Amino acid sequence: MNARWPWVSVSSAARRVARDRGQLLFAAGFYVVVASVLAALWRAATEVNGGTVAGYSGLQLTWYVVAAEAVTIALNTRLIEVIGDDIASGAVAAELLRPAPVLGVRVCTELGRCLPRLGVCVAIGAVLATTTAGAPPDATALALAAPAVVLAVFCNLIAQHAFAGIAFWLRDARSMWFLYHKLVFVLGGMLLPLQVMPSWLHTVAAWLPFAAMAYVPARLASGHVEPQLLLVQLWWLGVMWWAARAVFNAGERRLQVVGG
Amino acid sequence: MTIEVRSLTKVFEAGSRRNRRRIEAVHDISLTVGAGERVAYIGPNGAGKSTSIKMLTGVLHPTSGTANVLGMVPWQQRRALTRRIGALFGQRSQLWFELTPRETFRMLGAIFDLEPAAERERVGVLGELLDAADLFDTPVRSLSLGQRMRCELAACLLHEPSILFLDEPTIGLDLLAKQRFRELLVRLNEERGTTVFLTSHDVADIEHVAQRAVVINHGVVIYDAEVAAMRRTLLATKSVEVTLAEPSPPPEMDGVIVTANKDSSMSLVVDTTRCSIRDVLDHLLGRLSVTDISVTDPPLEQVIAEIYTVPRS
Repeated sequence: MNARWPWVSVSSAARRVARDRGQLLFAAGFYVVVASVLAALWRAATEVNGGTVAGYSGLQLTWYVVAAEAVTIALNTRLIEVIGDDIASGAVAAELLRPAPVLGVRVCTELGRCLPRLGVCVAIGAVLATTTAGAPPDATALALAAPAVVLAVFCNLIAQHAFAGIAFWLRDARSMWFLYHKLVFVLGGMLLPLQVMPSWLHTVAAWLPFAAMAYVPARLASGHVEPQLLLVQLWWLGVMWWAARAVFNAGERRLQVVGG
Repeated sequence: MTIEVRSLTKVFEAGSRRNRRRIEAVHDISLTVGAGERVAYIGPNGAGKSTSIKMLTGVLHPTSGTANVLGMVPWQQRRALTRRIGALFGQRSQLWFELTPRETFRMLGAIFDLEPAAERERVGVLGELLDAADLFDTPVRSLSLGQRMRCELAACLLHEPSILFLDEPTIGLDLLAKQRFRELLVRLNEERGTTVFLTSHDVADIEHVAQRAVVINHGVVIYDAEVAAMRRTLLATKSVEVTLAEPSPPPEMDGVIVTANKDSSMSLVVDTTRCSIRDVLDHLLGRLSVTDISVTDPPLEQVIAEIYTVPRS
């Protein structure tokens, strides 16, 4: 098994996006608007609530928001739809003509596309949070958040492939795209920390994979030194990889490509 | 044998669970292809050509039957097989649209385990061979169709495959690009012994590239012969063009139809099952003041159209 193609796939795609200033500027602009508005809203909420919301101060919520938004905006929001269309149209057939797994090449290429956007969003987020709310609440927690943002993106990408694989059977992943994003937004803790939810919903969300995709890096960036959360991410990364591989292996066997 | 197919059948299922329909795209196909052959696999739309190629490259699993390509069962050993075959689906790109072809080749080189130096050398050779070196640094999305197809071919030749499977490779290309593409395929076959297995609706692709034609219709092989023999045996007619010194009455012979007779030129169609071409020439040269005469086979397009009309048994 050759170990070179994953790195070449990631680096080739990353270099191309890094050179595309228009795309990076658009992602950065969108990120600044969304992160600024949400952070300001949460700070206002903490002020009217006696300084904290569900145990988070205004400073912590600002760092929570910039991390959660960075890992979300770094991704192609229509990825499930794109993968589903490639499967349904048969475009994936050309990818089966290579001696490397379709899923692996796709995930690596997409990770490469995300990393430059993630880097830009994280850098802007750090400046934004520091200037509007203050320095990071905890340096150790912030250090833990660094690998967590990459793991969150990685986990999200693999999960999106697992969900999009439904197109091998239904030939349409658009409904799955809509559902998936709502789950990440709410149960993944992108819009609000899990602690803000009713306790039963918090428990449910904590046991679902979506928390690994937004809540974990945001929780760490907000100053909570909880290294076990990285293990949660690694666990879900493994589970999602296994699920996506099973879906693609089964799907590739029953692929229907009619005509040229 | 390079390719050996026995009773290959593919049935697609379509429609909802309650109203499921079975579409037999390929039915009980058997054929063999030797190393270094140039085979055209032809048939009308929906005949099962692309489905057959996708099974032979391991992309699709058959419903029944067996196939052996370079000693491997394609759908069971797809990844190993892809190292030894190249495939180009004219309607499906294998390039990454946001990357340049050179970046794509770098990725493909890594995927196919080529050493970086070997990959660069190979890209240089392909750039010259395809006259495409100046295209390799332009993002794929900015290339014209003809330019992109040359890069697609470079991508599928990067790992020096033993067999090339080409599914409508010249679709959408202009005349010059098609001609260059065909010359290149013949050159690859003659210089490197690459087996070429191609489908096309363009008769010129078959005429200029293939030595052998396998005709498929309704999922069944209905004809398999040398291209030259196909032309000779399938239409028992020949066209005769005559130029005369002066206007003359047309010959009256059984099996000869005069399609045009104007001024000093005459066009005839001879049914060689009823009248030999020698008798016709003797008649014309003996009785008319002929200044020029030519005998031609019917166009291949007509031959193939004849074969397509064979009803489904």
